[in-house]
Amino acid sequence: MASPACHWVRSVLSTYLDGELKSSTAQAVRRHLKHCPSCREHLRQLEETWRLLDEADAPPVRPGFTARMMKRIVEEKAIEQMEARLRPQRLRRRVLRTVTGLAAGLAIGFALYGWTGRPHEPNSPVEREVCRHIAFFEDADLLDKIAVIQAIDQLTHSPGTTNGT
Amino acid sequence: MPKAIAAAIGAYEHQGRRAAVADYDAALMIAFQKGGDLAFQELVERNHPRVIGLAYRFTNNAAEAEDLAQEVFLRIYRARHTYKPTAKFTTWMFRIAANASLNALRARAKRRDDLSMTLLAGEEDHPAGPADAESRSPDHLLHQRDLRDKVREAIQALPEKQQVAVILNKYEGLDHADIARTIGCSTMAVKSLLARARDNLRNRLFRYLGSIPDRPSDV
Repeated sequence: MASPACHWVRSVLSTYLDGELKSSTAQAVRRHLKHCPSCREHLRQLEETWRLLDEADAPPVRPGFTARMMKRIVEEKAIEQMEARLRPQRLRRRVLRTVTGLAAGLAIGFALYGWTGRPHEPNSPVEREVCRHIAFFEDADLLDKIAVIQAIDQLTHSPGTTNGT
Repeated sequence: MPKAIAAAIGAYEHQGRRAAVADYDAALMIAFQKGGDLAFQELVERNHPRVIGLAYRFTNNAAEAEDLAQEVFLRIYRARHTYKPTAKFTTWMFRIAANASLNALRARAKRRDDLSMTLLAGEEDHPAGPADAESRSPDHLLHQRDLRDKVREAIQALPEKQQVAVILNKYEGLDHADIARTIGCSTMAVKSLLARARDNLRNRLFRYLGSIPDRPSDV
């Protein structure tokens, strides 16, 4: 069974093989390996496994890659230029859509206002009389308002107002 | 050498000869940003074998690897206005290449005919040339082909991040810090990924240990 020292050494063997251990740590590993055949065998296996990876094929590179790539770049440039040309047209279309939308919204708003929210026109003489006092009423303070209400009340209930005088 | 490339490289040379050599690609990219298409062409010419190599290690398909490499350089081309030389150019390039390759693998995994396509690609990509057939015995060729397939399968069976770490370390020669920058994790995480990957590979290839002649160790 492996000792705690063996466990530790095996945990750092990969870094040791890459030469990325601190020199003091690498020395400690070397000291352990000197008298531990089991860890030496583990190291040998790791080294050999790494060497086995050399057996994988070398990647094939077809000649003329740069020329093919630059041809693709020419195509990419043509696409970029086309997009740049289309950009102002798209912007114009977007602005036009926004303006049209706003105009339609305003038209609908006005139509709805005309249909539902238009102030009622005074028809009868009493209404006309009340409306005449409204401007004055809006400017008056609270006490004046009470007086005005009373005055309007009198006006509307007095017999003379019924025939428009 | 075009003026724009020369000027960009000159700026790097002020920082010392070594930096100029190490970041020559970054200098080319800056020259390209300033409008030098020739700089981009040189960038492609210098780096395409590594990008194709990386993509091929993931896909094991030469045609797919070339398509992916074109995609990588196209992304680099499109990023010309936003590129900032904050890290090594190759780190950035490998990150794009690794992501593109992994995306391609994920897309491929979704397809039902994955296995048959890989086998077909293997047939197409690795024909035994007449020189091989003459110089090596059928047994040796068979063994080598079997070993090659097993090594490829063992790498492909690794979890994604371990796979990237192994390919960047083993085949591209990146150190732990560069791998960390490429895949966006800590150096400690890379150490751990590589340790686990080595153990997984050892378990999968255990049968083949001792089948290749010993070479002197680098350590």
